[in-house]
Amino acid sequence: MIKLESAHIEEVRGIRKLDLVFNKEKFAISGPNGSGKSGVIDAIEFGLTGHIGRLAGKGTKGLSVSEHGPHVDKTKFPDAAFVTLRVFLTELGKSVTITRKLTSPNKPKIEPADDDVKAVLAEIAAHPEITLSRREILRFILVEPTTRSEEIQTILKLDEIGQARSALNTAQNRLQAAHKTATAQVDSARSAIQLHLQIATLKAEHVLEAANKRRKVLDLLAIAELTADTKLDAGLSSTAKASDFNKESALRDLKALAEAAKGFPDLARTEATAVIADLARLEADPALLRALQRRSFVENGLDFVDGPECPLCDTPWKNEQHLREHLKTKLAKSEEAKQLQQSLLSNGLAIAEKAIRVAGLLAPVQKLAGARGESAFAQVLTAWKGELEALKKKLANVDGITGLTDRLKGDWLEMPKALPENLKSLTATLEALPDQTATLDAQTFLATAQVRLVDYREAMRKNEAAKIALNGARVAYDTYCAVLEDELNALYEEVQQDFSTYYRAINEEDESTFTAKLTPTEGSLGLEVNFYERGLFPPAAYHSEGHQDGMGVCLYLALMKRLFGKRFTFALLDDVVMSVDAGHRYQFCKLLKTHFPDTQFIITTHDRLWAEQMKSAGLVSAKTSIAFHSWTIDTGPLVESNLEIWDEIGAALAKGKVEAAAGALRHHLEYVSRHLADQIGATPQFRADGNYELGELLPSVLKRMKELCGKAADAAQSWGNDTDKEAAGTRKAVLSSSNAAMNVEQWAVNKAVHYNEWANFGKRDFEPVVAAFKELLGCFSCERCEAWLHVTPRGTPESLRCACNAVNLNLKPKPK
Amino acid sequence: MPTLQQQIAEKFLRKLSESEDVDDAKITQLRILFADSKKLKADDLVKVFVQPAGGDLK
Repeated sequence: MIKLESAHIEEVRGIRKLDLVFNKEKFAISGPNGSGKSGVIDAIEFGLTGHIGRLAGKGTKGLSVSEHGPHVDKTKFPDAAFVTLRVFLTELGKSVTITRKLTSPNKPKIEPADDDVKAVLAEIAAHPEITLSRREILRFILVEPTTRSEEIQTILKLDEIGQARSALNTAQNRLQAAHKTATAQVDSARSAIQLHLQIATLKAEHVLEAANKRRKVLDLLAIAELTADTKLDAGLSSTAKASDFNKESALRDLKALAEAAKGFPDLARTEATAVIADLARLEADPALLRALQRRSFVENGLDFVDGPECPLCDTPWKNEQHLREHLKTKLAKSEEAKQLQQSLLSNGLAIAEKAIRVAGLLAPVQKLAGARGESAFAQVLTAWKGELEALKKKLANVDGITGLTDRLKGDWLEMPKALPENLKSLTATLEALPDQTATLDAQTFLATAQVRLVDYREAMRKNEAAKIALNGARVAYDTYCAVLEDELNALYEEVQQDFSTYYRAINEEDESTFTAKLTPTEGSLGLEVNFYERGLFPPAAYHSEGHQDGMGVCLYLALMKRLFGKRFTFALLDDVVMSVDAGHRYQFCKLLKTHFPDTQFIITTHDRLWAEQMKSAGLVSAKTSIAFHSWTIDTGPLVESNLEIWDEIGAALAKGKVEAAAGALRHHLEYVSRHLADQIGATPQFRADGNYELGELLPSVLKRMKELCGKAADAAQSWGNDTDKEAAGTRKAVLSSSNAAMNVEQWAVNKAVHYNEWANFGKRDFEPVVAAFKELLGCFSCERCEAWLHVTPRGTPESLRCACNAVNLNLKPKPK
Repeated sequence: MPTLQQQIAEKFLRKLSESEDVDDAKITQLRILFADSKKLKADDLVKVFVQPAGGDLK
C-alpha cells in the first residue's frame, strides 16, 4: 500500500514545527514521556486518515480533532495546524503529497490527485488500525471473548460480513412473515370456495362433482378434469356470467359470518393475552422498555448509517466503522429486549392471520350488501375491512403493537356493534326473496364458484411465490452462514498459526513450543495459549504481564498480515514495543526484520536504551531514528541528534546563551554516557536505583573504551593485522590525549556544564569545553554511519563495531 | 488481492448457483448487490427473492 518518505508537521498537538525524513525505512522515535513522540504519531495518523485515534473511543468524551488537534496556542487559529506527508504508493510506484488541515480533515489536498492515488489513500483512511498504541495492545488479550471477537472483527473489517449476514437474515424473516400472511389468505380463499361448493375438502373430484351437478341442469358438458385453465362456468353466456348472486350461497356466506361473529370476542385471545403480558412487562420495567425502544430505534439507525455521522443524533464519530460498532454494542446489550421483541412479533403475526380470516369472511358479505342496496351496511363493512387491513400492518412491528395495548385488552377486532343486527336484517331480506329457478341457481352457482376458484388460485399463486421466495432466502442465508463459518475458521486458523510463530520467535529461549488456539463460536472468540506444554489456558492464567503484552503485539501483527497480506507495508507502533520485556527485545527486532522485511514500522519508545537496542540489532540506524530529549510548550519536541546537537550548542553560544549551551551539552553527555555504558559494557560502581551521575558514568565509559582499544590493538598484533592495530591504536591515542578526557572528572562534575552555575563562564570559556567533548565523543562513533560503537556479543565481547561494520575491531587474540 | 468480504461473497454466490433453490436471474441480481452495495439492505434482498413471482399451481 504505502510507505512514508517524509513528514512536515505544523502546530499539531504538541508540535510547533517539525520535519522528519523517513525514506521509506523502519524508523524509531525515542524520548522521555511528554517529549512529543505520540504527537508525531497523531500527526502522521491524521495526515493519512483524517482522524486521531487518541481523541476518539473510550474515555475521550468531549475531545475532538477540530478542537483539540491543533497546538494549544493555536486553537483560535486552527488554520495554522496542518500536516504534509510525502507518501510512496508501493503498488502504483509513485510518490504523492498529502496536505491535511485540522480545520478540514476530510478534504486533504493530494498531489497528484489521480483517481488511482485517491483510491489508495481512501483505503488507508479506512484503516485506522495502522496505528497501534500501548493502551490498545491488551484489547486482544485480556478481554472477554465477545469483546475480543468484536475487536478482531473490527480490525479485520468483518463488520461488513456481519452486516451482509444480518441483512440476509432480516430478509428471510420478512419473507417468512409474508409467507404466513399469504398462507392465511389461502386458508381464507379456500374456506370461501368450500363454503360455496359445500364440500369438506378442496379435492378436484369434489369440486367437479359440485360444478357438474349444476352444469347438468344447464345442459352444459361435464368437466372431466380440473386443470390450471379450467373454468367452472365455461359455456355460460356472458349475460349469465354477469350475475353471481346465488341466493343459497349468499345465505351461507351470511350464516358463516354470523356464526363466526359469535366467536369474535375470543378470537386469538391467547395471543392477545400474551401480547398484553409482554406489554405489561414493558410498562413495569422502564429500562426494558427503553432498551426495546432503543433497539428498534438503533436497528433503524443502523440501516441509515452512511458515514461517520450518527443518523440518529448527528454526533460525529471517528469513522463509520466505530459508529456501527457502537450501535451494534447497544443492540447486543438488549438481549432480553430482543426476546421480548420476538415474542411480540410472533403473537402479532398470529393475530394478524386471524384478522385476515375475518376479512375473508367479510368480503362476500360486503359485496352482497352493496349489491342488495344495503349501502349503509356495505359502508360499515368496507370501513371495518379497511380497519382490519390497518391493524394487520400495525401488528407487523413492535411500535405498532405497543400502540395497540388498550385495543388488545378488549375486543381487538372492534366488530361493528350493529353487525349481528345487520346480518340478521340482510338474511331476512334474502330469505324473503323468491327462490331462484333451478336454471338461475345453477348459473349463479357456477359464476360464483368460478369467481372464488379464481380468488383461491390467485391466493395459491401468491402463497407459492411467497414460499419460493422464502425458500430462496433461507437457502441463501444458510449458504452464506456456512461459507462464512468455513472462511472464518480458516482465517482464525491462519491467524493463530502466525500468532504462535511470532510469539515463539520472540520467546524462542523459553517458549519454543508455544502454541495458541483461537476458538470462534457465535459472537465470541476464545483464546487459549500453551503454558510450557502443561495445557491450554487463558493468556492471563499463568503468563506474566510482559508476556501477555508480547502476545498482544504478535496477535496484532498476525491480524495485520491476514488483513493486508503482502500489502502490509506500513504501521505506527506507539510505545507498544515497550511492552516486550527487555530480555526479548532483540528477538523482537529479528521478528520485525525477518517476517516483515517490507513493512515500514514507525516505532516510538520512551526507553532510550530500547531505542539504541533497535539500532544495535540493525532494525533501524542512526539515520533512521530520532530522539527527543525534552519538550516545551513554546518549542515543541527538542530533537536530540548526534549531528545537530553541536549545531544547537554552537547556535546558543553564538547568541551568548551559555546557559542553554551548557544545558544541552550536559543533557547530551548524560544520554550518551548512559547509552555507551550499556553499548560497550562499562562497569561503573553498581547502583540499585540506576541513577548514575554523569561524573560516575563518563570516566567509566572512557576507561572501558581505552581498555577495548587496547584489547583490539593486542588482538590485531597477534593476528598480524596492521590496519586494525593502527586503527585501534589511533582511537586509543585520541582518547588519551583528548582535552576532555584529561579533564573528564573535573568537567563532568563541574557546575559549568551543569544547569545553573554558569554565570561565571563566558562564551570563550565554554567553547573549548564543547570542542573537547565533541572530539572525545567522536572516538565512540563511526564516521560513516554515525552510529555509536558497541561490543558483541554482550558479556564476553569478541568485537567492537558499529551498525554498518565500517568499524569492526576484533577483540579475540590469536590462540597461542 | 480480494478482501475477505469479496472472497466470502464469491464463494457464497458460487455455492448458491449450485443449488436448485435459487435461479440464475436471482443470483445475477445478488451478485450486483454484493458487488455494488457496500451496505447490503434487507429490502433490496427481499426484492430479489420475490421476483419473479413464481407459482406452479395447475
